[in-house]
Amino acid sequence: MKDKNPLSPHIQIYNWHISSLISISHRITGIINIIIITLICFWVALLLLGNTNYELIQKFFETYFGKFVIVGIVWSFSFQILSEIRHIFWDLGFGFELKTSNITGLLVIFGSLVLTILIAGKNLFL
Amino acid sequence: MINATKKWIFLKISSAILVPLMVWFLFNLVSFYDKDYNEVLLFFTNQPTKFLFSLFIIFAYFYSALSISEVFEDYIEHEKLKNIANKLLYLFAIIIPLSTLLLLYKLSI
Repeated sequence: MKDKNPLSPHIQIYNWHISSLISISHRITGIINIIIITLICFWVALLLLGNTNYELIQKFFETYFGKFVIVGIVWSFSFQILSEIRHIFWDLGFGFELKTSNITGLLVIFGSLVLTILIAGKNLFL
Repeated sequence: MINATKKWIFLKISSAILVPLMVWFLFNLVSFYDKDYNEVLLFFTNQPTKFLFSLFIIFAYFYSALSISEVFEDYIEHEKLKNIANKLLYLFAIIIPLSTLLLLYKLSI
């Protein structure tokens, strides 16, 4: 056999349910997070250039769009953290039953929103 | 132990380390993101921030490289293209954190 590993079926053929939604979102937020972390690395590099250049970034984060970006980052990180904890429990052998899996999936979705409100809301809007 | 098993174990260990580091970074990010140059500089030059941030980016890139290579494994059929994508990914996951760490340790108030 030429190709040993069969490809995964593409996402269009699945019936959508909580587990598939969390699975694809976990992958997408994982890729988004590494892009965000790369931008944060550039942010650290910009600090070397001094105060004058840094004012642009500070002004950007003071705008509504800048705050929206931070809220997005908080949600994306929160989602990844909760989804990763769900994976750790699976790796330890817990939570495989369909009902439990659906409940933990919902906890990831709503938990990430609650975490975003708690973390970002307090610091950004109060 | 086969390579796929080793990769899975590395992925799980790095994710278990990364979760608390992400929580730590998230709480700090929302408290310093709009601060002025001197306050942000103070954050990144202070210990234990410098040490924790270094760990955060090392494990984030390590974990991401392993998990994105799984995505390549799942969706790229052409073997040669998959190898090139993986090599570029690993190169990216070494160069960016390494250069950031060098810059981070050059930073001073």
